[in-house]
Formats: sequence, C-alpha cells, structure tokens
Amino acid sequence: MNLVQIEHVLAVAGGIVVFVVASIALRNDWKTPGMDNQVFKLMLGLLALGGVLAALAGLGVIGKA
Amino acid sequence: MAVVSIPGGGEVDQLYADTRELRLQGFLLFLVSDVVLFSSFIFAYLYLRNSGQGWPPPGIARPPISLAALNSAILFGSGATMHYALENFKRGNFLRYSSLMLWTILLGILFLCGQGIEYTTLYFQDHVSWAGSGIFGASFFTLTGMHGFHVFCGICYLVVLLLQSVHGVYDKNKYFGLTAGTLYWHFVDVIWVVLFSIFYLI
Amino acid sequence: MSVIAEHGGIAEHIHPEPQGFVRKYVFSLDHKIIGIQYIITAFVFFVLAGCLAEIIRIQLMHANGGFVTANTYDEVYSIHGSAMVWLVIIPMLTGGFGNFVMPVQLGARDVAFPWLNMISFWLFPVAGLMLFSSFLMGAPVAGWTEYPPMSLQGGAGTSMWCAAIFLVGVSSTLTGINFLVTILKMRAPGMTFTRMPLFCWGQLATAPLLMIATTALAAALAALFMERQFGVPFYDPTKGGSPVLWQHMFWFYSHPAVYIMILPAFGIMSEVISVFSRKPVFGYRMIAFSSAAIALAGFMVWAHHMFTSGIAPYMQLPFMVLTFAIAVPTGIKIFSWLATMWGGKIHLTTSMLFALGFLVLFTFGGISGVFLAAIPFDLHVHGTYFIPAHLHFVLVGGSLMGIFSGMYYWFPKMTGRYLSEFWGRVHFALFVIGFLGTFLPMHWLGAEGMPRRVASYDPQFQWVNQLESIFSFIMTAAILIFFVNMLYCIRNGKKAGHNPWGARTLEWQIPSPPPYYNFKHIPSVFGLPYDFTEPLPYTHLEDELTDAPVTVGAQ
Repeated sequence: MNLVQIEHVLAVAGGIVVFVVASIALRNDWKTPGMDNQVFKLMLGLLALGGVLAALAGLGVIGKA
Repeated sequence: MAVVSIPGGGEVDQLYADTRELRLQGFLLFLVSDVVLFSSFIFAYLYLRNSGQGWPPPGIARPPISLAALNSAILFGSGATMHYALENFKRGNFLRYSSLMLWTILLGILFLCGQGIEYTTLYFQDHVSWAGSGIFGASFFTLTGMHGFHVFCGICYLVVLLLQSVHGVYDKNKYFGLTAGTLYWHFVDVIWVVLFSIFYLI
Repeated sequence: MSVIAEHGGIAEHIHPEPQGFVRKYVFSLDHKIIGIQYIITAFVFFVLAGCLAEIIRIQLMHANGGFVTANTYDEVYSIHGSAMVWLVIIPMLTGGFGNFVMPVQLGARDVAFPWLNMISFWLFPVAGLMLFSSFLMGAPVAGWTEYPPMSLQGGAGTSMWCAAIFLVGVSSTLTGINFLVTILKMRAPGMTFTRMPLFCWGQLATAPLLMIATTALAAALAALFMERQFGVPFYDPTKGGSPVLWQHMFWFYSHPAVYIMILPAFGIMSEVISVFSRKPVFGYRMIAFSSAAIALAGFMVWAHHMFTSGIAPYMQLPFMVLTFAIAVPTGIKIFSWLATMWGGKIHLTTSMLFALGFLVLFTFGGISGVFLAAIPFDLHVHGTYFIPAHLHFVLVGGSLMGIFSGMYYWFPKMTGRYLSEFWGRVHFALFVIGFLGTFLPMHWLGAEGMPRRVASYDPQFQWVNQLESIFSFIMTAAILIFFVNMLYCIRNGKKAGHNPWGARTLEWQIPSPPPYYNFKHIPSVFGLPYDFTEPLPYTHLEDELTDAPVTVGAQ
C-alpha cells in the first residue's frame, strides 16, 4: 500500500466521519432560534457537503488525479 | 472607566439590553466582507482559467488530489470538533470543551502542515512557483495562501480564546468571543469547501 | 465595552466626557468630533487636489501644453482623480456627514463601535499622505482607473498608490460595517425603518456598498500590488494574465462607488428641499426604496464602462439595458423632489440654492450618463472629453453641490453659528457660472473627438480650452470664498440657536453644537419627521434645551 492509497483511504474515512458528525449537529440544532444559530446551520450544512466532496474525491469518483 | 447613567431609560433598556447583538452583527458583516474578498479572487481565478489557454496551462501538472482530499477531511473534522467544543461550553462541560478545542487547534496545525508539504512538493519537484508559473501559480498560490493565512490567524485566535476561557473570561451566559471564534472557524472551513472544489475537482 | 455590558446597555448610559486635548479632539471616540475631523481632513485634501486640477487647466491653456512635462501631466491628473474620489467625496459624505448627522438623527448616543470609527478615521489621513507622497517616487500615470498594462509600467509610486487606496478602502469597509450595524440596531424606540429621516436612508443604502464593493477593490489592488512588486502574473498579457480582468474587478467596485458618492448627497437633498419648502417630502417611501434599488442595481452594471474593452456582444446588451433601468429610480427621486417643492413655501437660503443647483446640474449629468450607456454612442465618445464632462457633472454638480448644501445646512449645528448668507450666495453664483463654463464645453469637445488625458492637443480646440480654464479660475475663486467664509464664521458668524431652519429631524431638537452625550433622555419616535403642520413626533425631549442636569448615578 503506497502513500497515495493511504491518503485516499484516510480521506474517505475522514469525509464520512465529518459528514455524519456535521449532519448530527445539524439535526440537533435544527430548531434553535437566533441569527448566530442560523449562520451555524448554514455553515454546518456546507461542512457536510464538504465531507461528501472529500470522501468522493478520495474514492476517485470526482476530480482528476 | 466609570459609567454614569440617567434614569428614565426603561423602554430603552429592553431595546439595547444586549451589546452582544451589536457585536454579533458587526462580526457577521466582517465575515461577509471577507467572503467578498475571497469571491473576488475566485472570480479572478475563474476568469483567467477560462481565458483560452486550457487548464492546467501547458507544461504544468495539477497538484495531486489525494493529499488535498485528506487535508480537506482534516480541516472539516476540525470544524466538527469546534462545533462540539462550543456546545460543550454552553452545557458547562469545561473539560470536554478544552480537549475539543485542543483537538481543533491540532487539526488546524495538521492542515497547515499538509499544505506545507503540498507547496514544497509543487515547488521542488514540479517547479511550480508563485511568480514564475503563469496564471496557474498566481491564482493557486494566492488563493490557497490567503486561505492558509486565514487558518493561521484562526489558530492564533483559538489559542487566545482557550487561554482566556482557562482564565475564566467567559461563563455560561457570556461567551460571545467563543461564538465569534466558532463562526470564524466555520467560515474558514466553508471557504475551503469552495477552494477544494474549484482547484481539485473541476 | 465590558463595563457597558455589565450595566445592561449602551443607549441609556452616558460616558463621562473625556478630558484632555488628545482624548477629546485627536483620538476622540465621539462620532461628532470624528465627523468634523473627517470633514476638515477631506477639505485639506480637497485643496490639494484642487491645486492639481488648476495645474491641469493651466497646462491645457495652450495646445502644446508646456506648463509641465507630459509625464508630470499624467501624474497630476491621476492623483487629482484618485484624491477627489477617495480622499474628498467619499470620506466627506460617509465619514463626515454620515458620522456627524446620522447617529443623532437616529436618536442614538454614538455609532455602534466607536473604537472602529476612530480607527477608520485615522487610516484615512495616513492613506491620503501616502497617496500624495507617491509624487516623490514617480506617481501613477494611468489615470485614476490605473488600467494595466500601463499601470504595471508606471513609476514606483504606483505601488504606493495601491497601498494608499487599499488603506482608504479598509477605512471605508470598517465605516460601512459600523454604519450598517448602527442603523440596523441603534435606532431610538419607535423609529421604524419607515420613520427614518431620508438622510439615514441614504446612509443605509450606502453602507453595504462601502462594505462589499470596497472589499472587491481591495482584492484587485492586492493583485496589482503583487504583480508590480513580485511579478505574480494576473494582468500582464505577455505572461498569460488579462488586463480586462482588472477592468472587471475595478469597475465592480467603482461603479457602486459612484453611488457611494451620490446616495448620501441624495439624502442631503431630501432633507434640505423638504425643510426649505416647508412641505412633507413627496413620496417618502418611493425616495427611500429607490435608494435601495439604486444600490442593488449598482452592482449589476459595471461592464458599461467596458464597451470598448472587447467584451462579448451578448454581455453588452444586458448591461446597457440595466444601466438605462437605473435611470428610473433616479428619476423617481428627481420628480419627488420637484413635487415636494410644488406649492411649497420656498425659502431661498444658500443651502436651498445649492439644492436647486444640484437638481439642475445632476439631472444634466444623469442624462449624459444615459447617453453613455447607449452602446453606439459610447463607442463614439469613449475616451474623449465627453467622459470627463459627464463625470464632473455628476460628481461636482451632484456630489460636491450636495456637500456644499449640507455644509450650509449643518454648519449651524456643528458650530452654533451661521455661515454668511451673503457670501454664500456669492459662492453659489460664482461656482455655478464657473462650473458651467468649465465643464459644459467639454461635451462639445468630446463629441468633436478631443481625447481625454492628453498633455497637448489639436490647436483647433485651443480657444475652447482657454475659455474653460478661465471659467475654472472663477470656480476656484468661489471655493476660496467658501473657505474664507467658513474659517471666519467658525468664531465670528451670527449666532444661530438650536434650530435656525425650523427643521424637524432629531438633530435640530438638541443644542448646537450637540453635547457629548447627544440626548439627556433617549427620545421616543411616533411619526415621520416631515409633517410641518403637525406637532413634533417625539417624546422625552422636554429637558434637552433646559438646564436640567444630566442625572448622575448608577442603576
């Protein structure tokens, strides 16, 4: 297993973890009021998206190596 | 500074009771102007990229995606730990809060190290530099460097916040600095979502 | 800030007035002092940039130039334009009048972040000195727009120019954030958005432009600076960059900047015309919302400056149509002001004279702007004197007339004394004559094809240029009269009392000059400030003009 493959695996694992964690945080926060919480929710959503992107890139589905 | 007050401000009291609102709004507007700063450079990058020279320009290799993907996962993970740090602080769980903060700072430093590895590889192995590699070097190093600088500032800010909270500056009802720090850190993450997509994925 | 937070709020608390000259007048946190600091500094830069303008006019007295070298001439008009835009009009209207008037009109004790306000002010004179010091190392020569590749080849001062404009941009951005939070969060109880004075609406529309557009300019400047100092290729076409990229980024800022320079002046007009016609503003909501519409649409028209820069035809047409569309909200404002005056009891004070002059000259400049938005016409006159003619009509005939009107209107509030009305009328008459004589013939020169930014020109245009130069001296004389009038009247003007014009906005209900804490009690608002037949729509203002002490004591 070379370095690139290790990086791929770690990226996939990290991306999935981030997606799960961000989604859970998003679900817990879903009904909180206040402007800062709205911004938090927006950013958590984008974070989850980022996790998905990182995982897909690690899988080689998107992006050219 | 002593504060002198005048009576009869009852109804005013409720309107202005919380300077936190002011600072929060000011901070959000600062983030908006920062978004505009990044957007301008991203616009410049997309404009140059589509100016008909092909991408990447001839003679230049794309930076490897595997390291960038791992790096992204690290940075996004730090966003999650930061979020739970604030949550734990709100619930009064100070120990978990500080350990999560430390994790956030550590992951941030790891991200910067990853970027350092990427830069050195690009520079020494592929001979891609900031000023000498045409529009690729200019836009890539400027944007990721600016983001790296933001991460660096964010790490410093988080260290200050952690030290402050150890010294008891914040309590369960008054933690605006931590909210601002979390917002800033999320902001840095989200900017990376965009940069990662436009530099490595498309 | 922490002390304030502990005591529960800022509005009802009065900080003790700072003692000592430095704390009171130099590094002041008081929005009124900062506003006056802005106005004074901007007038100093106005004098410097005005001298540069006269150098330009003297040079153009003769078709072969000869007063200065062609290179110096390039430096002079570049710095003249930059200084007038960034160091005079924008700081004067936002930092100056905005700071002095806006918080009081809202019924607040200060802006949201006084410290930030102080920082924004002190960045501004530093930036100004940097801009003028670029003469020492070879000033920029590519005009105030600094198009590459010429700006890449200019003297070392061009990098200084970048840094100076960047700093003044940071100052603008901070001011924008500060003002936006102030307007959104610090209005007096009962002052809803539809009860706000129209000057505050002007500032509300300007603040996001300051905040967003200026940051885009900062990016463009940073890239230009990096390219000049470190050779990072963004704009240089020989290294793969694109000069048109700069034009996009620059005009994405600079077209909204045009509205930064005019929207506060629109606000001043609304106040002045209503007060001196003794009539409510006609179509309050229309004026207010058209400000917002102009600000929003201002972001979508930048490429109309670039019709000759080689952008795709399918992009040109929407920009042309959108630019035409911006004339609609502007027209709404002009007609609302005319309808405000209709049947009113017009008092022809100097301030009102300048407002009337604004209406005529700005409308003229606005219409030539609509001409320029039409692609076929623009292709014909782009880069000719038609452009300076148009931009001086909107910036001098619009913004600067607005500044003068505001100075005559608010000077009694700043100092407690009137400016001399007689010399004010002389100022007005000479200024308008000089202005028309200087800039009206430029339309003709442009249509005939005289290029702008040239140190020598075709001799057939010489007599027109000489005429313009002579009229420009009249304009300079008028401005000198204004300065002497102002310096004299600070100490020796006629005493004005707290409300010399019978105006109804909040700043006129407190003593002149306003005390440090503005209001002894924060007022409550229950109506628009423009109904001249009704009683004042404020409560809790009974003690403001009496000797009632400012009650001291912790809650």
